[in-house]
Amino acid sequence: MKRVITYIFIGLAALSLSGCKDFLEKGPKLSQSSELTLSTYSGLDKVTQGVYAYFGSLGWYGGERVLESEMRSGNGMKNADHTSNRYNTEMNWNYLPESTSSMWALGYEAIAACNNVIDNLEGKDVGDVTVQDLNNLKAECLFIRAFCHFDMVTLFALPYTYVKANEKTLNEKQKLGIPYVIHTDPAGTPARDPVLEVYPKVVEDLLAAEEAIDPSYARSGVADKKAVVTLEAIQALLSRVYLYMGEWQKAADYATKVIDSGKFELYTVENYEKVWNQNTGGSEVIFENYIDLGNYSNENPMYMCYPDGAYGDCICSAELYNSYADGDIRKKLYCQDKNETDGLWWTLKYKGKGLGNPDANNTVILRLSEMYLNRAEAIVNGASIPGTTAVKDLNEVITNRGLAGLNSVGMDAIKSERRKELAWEGHYFFDKARWGESVVRDLCYGMDPRYQNINFPDYRWALPIPKRELEVNANLKQNDGYKE
Amino acid sequence: MKKIKLFFTALVLVLSAGVLSAQSFTVTGNVSDASNGEPIPGATIQVKENASAYALSSVSGNYRINATSDGVLIVSCLGYEALEVSIGGRSLINIQLKPESQKLGDVIVVAYGTVRREAATGSVTSMKADQLVESPATSIDKMLSGKIAGVQMSSYSGQPGSTTTIRVRGTSSINAGNEPLWVVDGIPIIADDNRSYSNYGVGGGTNTAFLNPNDIESITVLKDAAAASVYGSRAANGVILVTTKSGKAGQAKFTAQAKFGAQQLANDNHFRPLTGEELINYWRDSARNAGANPDDPTSAYYVPYSLLQNGSHNWYQDLTKIGTLQEYEINATGGNDRGSYYSSLSYHKNDGVYNANSYSRFSARVNADYKLTKKLTSGARVNVSYNESSSTIMGNSYYLNPAQAMFALLPWTPIKDADGNFTFPTENGGENPLAHALYDENTDKEYRFNGTMFLEWKPIPKLTLKTTNSAEMSVVDSRSYSNPLADQTGESGLDTYTSKERRLTTSNTANYLDQFGNHNVRLLIGQEAMVDTYDYVGGDSPHVDPAIPYPTTSTQAEDQVGYGFSEYSLLSFFGVADYNFDNKYFLSASVRADGSSLFGASNRWGVFWSVSGSWNIEKEKFMAATSSWLSQLKLRASYGVNGNNNISPYRAYGVYSTVQYNNVNGMLPSRPDNPKLSWEKNKTWNVGLDFGFLDDRISGSIDFYNRLTTDMLLSKSVPYTTGFGSNFMNVGSLRNRGVEFSLDATILRKSDWIWTAGFNIAWNRSKVLDLAGSGYLTTVDSRTRGSAERSTPVRIVEGMSLYNFYLREYAGVNPSNGEGLFVAEDGTLTSDRTKGRYIYAGSPEPLCTGGFNTQVAWKGLSLSAYFEYVYGNKVLSNNWYFSDGEDTLVGNSTANSLNYWKKPGDTGVTPKPIAGGSNVWYTGYSTRFLEDGSYLRIRDITLAYALPEKVVKSIKLSGLKFYISALNPYTFHHVNALDPELGPLGYSYGGNHSMVKSLIGGVEISF
Repeated sequence: MKRVITYIFIGLAALSLSGCKDFLEKGPKLSQSSELTLSTYSGLDKVTQGVYAYFGSLGWYGGERVLESEMRSGNGMKNADHTSNRYNTEMNWNYLPESTSSMWALGYEAIAACNNVIDNLEGKDVGDVTVQDLNNLKAECLFIRAFCHFDMVTLFALPYTYVKANEKTLNEKQKLGIPYVIHTDPAGTPARDPVLEVYPKVVEDLLAAEEAIDPSYARSGVADKKAVVTLEAIQALLSRVYLYMGEWQKAADYATKVIDSGKFELYTVENYEKVWNQNTGGSEVIFENYIDLGNYSNENPMYMCYPDGAYGDCICSAELYNSYADGDIRKKLYCQDKNETDGLWWTLKYKGKGLGNPDANNTVILRLSEMYLNRAEAIVNGASIPGTTAVKDLNEVITNRGLAGLNSVGMDAIKSERRKELAWEGHYFFDKARWGESVVRDLCYGMDPRYQNINFPDYRWALPIPKRELEVNANLKQNDGYKE
Repeated sequence: MKKIKLFFTALVLVLSAGVLSAQSFTVTGNVSDASNGEPIPGATIQVKENASAYALSSVSGNYRINATSDGVLIVSCLGYEALEVSIGGRSLINIQLKPESQKLGDVIVVAYGTVRREAATGSVTSMKADQLVESPATSIDKMLSGKIAGVQMSSYSGQPGSTTTIRVRGTSSINAGNEPLWVVDGIPIIADDNRSYSNYGVGGGTNTAFLNPNDIESITVLKDAAAASVYGSRAANGVILVTTKSGKAGQAKFTAQAKFGAQQLANDNHFRPLTGEELINYWRDSARNAGANPDDPTSAYYVPYSLLQNGSHNWYQDLTKIGTLQEYEINATGGNDRGSYYSSLSYHKNDGVYNANSYSRFSARVNADYKLTKKLTSGARVNVSYNESSSTIMGNSYYLNPAQAMFALLPWTPIKDADGNFTFPTENGGENPLAHALYDENTDKEYRFNGTMFLEWKPIPKLTLKTTNSAEMSVVDSRSYSNPLADQTGESGLDTYTSKERRLTTSNTANYLDQFGNHNVRLLIGQEAMVDTYDYVGGDSPHVDPAIPYPTTSTQAEDQVGYGFSEYSLLSFFGVADYNFDNKYFLSASVRADGSSLFGASNRWGVFWSVSGSWNIEKEKFMAATSSWLSQLKLRASYGVNGNNNISPYRAYGVYSTVQYNNVNGMLPSRPDNPKLSWEKNKTWNVGLDFGFLDDRISGSIDFYNRLTTDMLLSKSVPYTTGFGSNFMNVGSLRNRGVEFSLDATILRKSDWIWTAGFNIAWNRSKVLDLAGSGYLTTVDSRTRGSAERSTPVRIVEGMSLYNFYLREYAGVNPSNGEGLFVAEDGTLTSDRTKGRYIYAGSPEPLCTGGFNTQVAWKGLSLSAYFEYVYGNKVLSNNWYFSDGEDTLVGNSTANSLNYWKKPGDTGVTPKPIAGGSNVWYTGYSTRFLEDGSYLRIRDITLAYALPEKVVKSIKLSGLKFYISALNPYTFHHVNALDPELGPLGYSYGGNHSMVKSLIGGVEISF
């Protein structure tokens, strides 16, 4: 009896000591641990798919990337029927370190997610998974990482062309870009890389992506095949980045690669009005985001730019509307409020897909017209591409918009057509920045007269770095002109 | 096996009898109480030479035992000093047992064992069942209110079956929990509230309502590190040890009791909405102040007296009712020399003071102990209960909440229209709270099972090995149904939900006791393991058919299913060493290593420890001169480190969660890896003095403590370049320090009379030492069951006490024009509220808390009273703020608003109302609504009468008792609210279910 009991007690003690470690391992079951997610190809593939969702975020192409540009550049305005204060900060350029663009937060979140994939691809080519499969994921993540950095450096730093031209006279702070993060360190406090180093790193990532991707690869299973990374999307972004850097020949070369791929067709007068509100992108679209009721936000361009049943806060300025000639099909892409007679015009690029109320609309991010306009601008600035000219490229676009072709083309024509064609797609502010052009606008409701016109240069062409980042990362410096 | 053993025992007995050649014969006699001569039933009579020879005394105290004529009898009984009697050839031996002296015999339950009160080195307060009063409290936590220095029971809700927020020596944590650990019969239990839809607006706190208070034998509160540290990572907020009743040897004894009571809202300051006439006049003045003519039908502020033509009524009365309470219980206890049992069966039902609010509990308990062999004892503690709670929507809800809506609904708005249908009053968001209460359902049905079995083995007398194993289960079926009849738009909705929590615990200890000379030693080593899993599955079924309000009638397209799962485990090794010399010098040390799945892989194990000592000074020779009046003088000191592991599972794991984009599921990081995540640590020292005068007729203690919380779990901002904006880390520190004092006295002790009184007071001061770079943190109201969390005006600020109201500074009314004034940034006065500066306006933490009590007994009649007080805290009452906070002529106001400025020179008034909502002095929080939350509450007055024994015996009973209790009969306070008790944040968003007062009568019969 005594012995039995002794054994029982000893047994209990032994049992409790063994299996100690497993007993205390209780991992989450309903969400996947980081370790597990990054250990398999399918996990990495899912993360890559997940990172695309950032393109739908309100802080990026889900809204602010577009409207920050339109409202600051003079394309957009407000009126007294829309007193919400939404996008007033953008219009008045009065960003503060406490309330600056949310792109910083979501950009680095997306970059970290990309880095996690890129850093864990090694050795996952097992079973049916080939090295090319891994390279395709790598290309997608490199593209998104480069795009995030590019969109942040254009927002939080002065334009590359301006910094480069004034390298000798600008102070160190004026030449700061953003931290280019290629490995995410949980304890890292990276400093800002200079603008002149950030752009080449963007190019480096994109060139690596171009090399890695299978030319015929497009992510499968998705609803919108235009909302995934392809070889042409990488090349189109390269054309834009080179253009922003003033690398004219390369900008023209990469535009040519996209144009010559034959995968895209310019919109025509006949279909121009109908292509903007489809569920998936039209013939010109190289890359876009995909917005449905799952990731719609009520401050998205659809809601902000359309008056009927939506907020309609962001109105087309008279200056922009009047710049369209009467025969220009693009003028038909504006509407008025059905219930108002205030003579105001709103863009129809975000009228909604017809999903119901609320409605949603994709945002076009890269498209063929931009490639023609990039190439025309590059050629005007000295690039040369056999078989085409700036006039030919520009006419290719405007004759498809119901206008007569031009006989000669200078920067003025390029600028004017670029504004009219790419209005409400998030280009004009960044174009003016790289052109070094001041913003001169009509005064409207909600606009502070002190900030009606913004000269170039001015410290405000770079947004303040978020205060909370400066508080937790001692290596960061605030942009010139803002409170530390 | 048993028979074989008996056979051998008998054989040995016969043989030894033969060898000793002593005459074997029978001894008979009677056992009685030396103090009063009453017979003692159930006393154990044992033959010293032969431990297996036992007898028990009968109900009348008689016994009969076979022994040897020259042997020795050992007579013992719980509560009496054991006695050895030499037989010396006598065959009739009457034995008188002396009751154990109060001081020596007072054994209290402490961590993993019991200890004589005089040997305790830590700060421990223990209460026996009889000290907990036969007050008809629903749950045991409510019984402790105001009775233990430094333990604050903060009820936020007077709802039947609601939880209680318990703070032992202040609040020690911001993000980890603050509730103490509850240990019932040696096993830490599930004390979380798993209910989903009832118990609105309470959220969090401790739920022990499933335990029947009458089953409790004693409660011990371990306050300092010395007492609690052996519970390691769970000890930081104190430990409450509950021991349930075990069987008493003797014939079966039954006790039956029944209680009935009625209750209503406690509202001792007569807080109320305005009557119809008062409101009309208030509005008319308001219209005139806006320059409008209230009699002009074209005016926007047309307020004719004709509004009252159909009469008016009092929504306060219509939305509340007299609540009822009933409880029935029968328990039985008994046993013999081998085994004993206690079992009980009880039913409790409380219909609340608001419609639809009720709580009922059916519980059954069996506690059994059995001596398997001389050295082996086994026992079980099993409690099964079924608890049903239901509620109308309260808490943070506004329109549906009767406690809020009764101050907003207009007195001339009828409850029902002419056709007898409920109205949907526009002044209350189109909601009729009575319709919701009567038609909607919000119920939780909880099934609780707690089963504990132990096996105790004493291989040698000095060593006890014990294994205790327990299974606990909480299953809750929840249902929330929105009836279209109660909804203006006629929408129906249904949420159903089933959750299960399962906890398995094993606790194994070896306890060694020894004595050599004046040295007394106790060594305990132990091991524990616990695993707890929780899961739920629930469905949201909109638009169900009201004829069949179940998920089956909702469309598949609309149905949504939710599922949750979490699991955590704890593995521990611990030891305690106690030493004392001559019962004068006591030393104690404990150490515990806890491994927890809650924390990061690199910080999974923590070691917690304590050292303590005490000195019974009165036993020193040099104190001989004072021994005539100083009966106790004990100095205690302790230091220790324990932890707080009260966080949700998986916080250490970085996880990816699913994100849908472009019609495909992807994954994105949702939380960073945190392998270093660890416990919050509490470092506590305590110095105390226990004293007693005149044979302890006056006794008391005083304690000083300092409790430092370090490595506080806070969400710390990190650079976004890491991929995340914040991470949950062990940063930050907080201090609580204080003094506790208690005093008990027996004022009068005569043969028929006894009069006692007690008093306790505790001062606690908190200070936030480090918030890891954040200057302040905002707080959210977690008592938000049924609605979204809302931020509160209470902030946590570095360098200040833990909680602070952050409000615009109100400066009273301008006597010349009746406008409200605020203090602007530059110190000047302004009538523009938006220019009023924000200040830290005080803390909801009280300066001191405590209670006092007195009992008078004369023969069978006894009268007891318990008082509780809270002093020096600030509260912000939202009833006042919300109802009087507008002059839009929409809703009603509280009677407080009548005292408004009427003519130049008026002071001590509220600002004049101005129709049109332009009156900004009301809206928004300001110090105007901040009040002194001090109160003195009469918790309980009970008058009881136990019939004299002669009478009882003549009707063949062993006891008969009647009593009547008043709970919360009166509260002295100055708060503009129904009741001043508003929880630790001193704030409520909507109208909380305030305290109730009850009158209860009962009868208890023993036979």
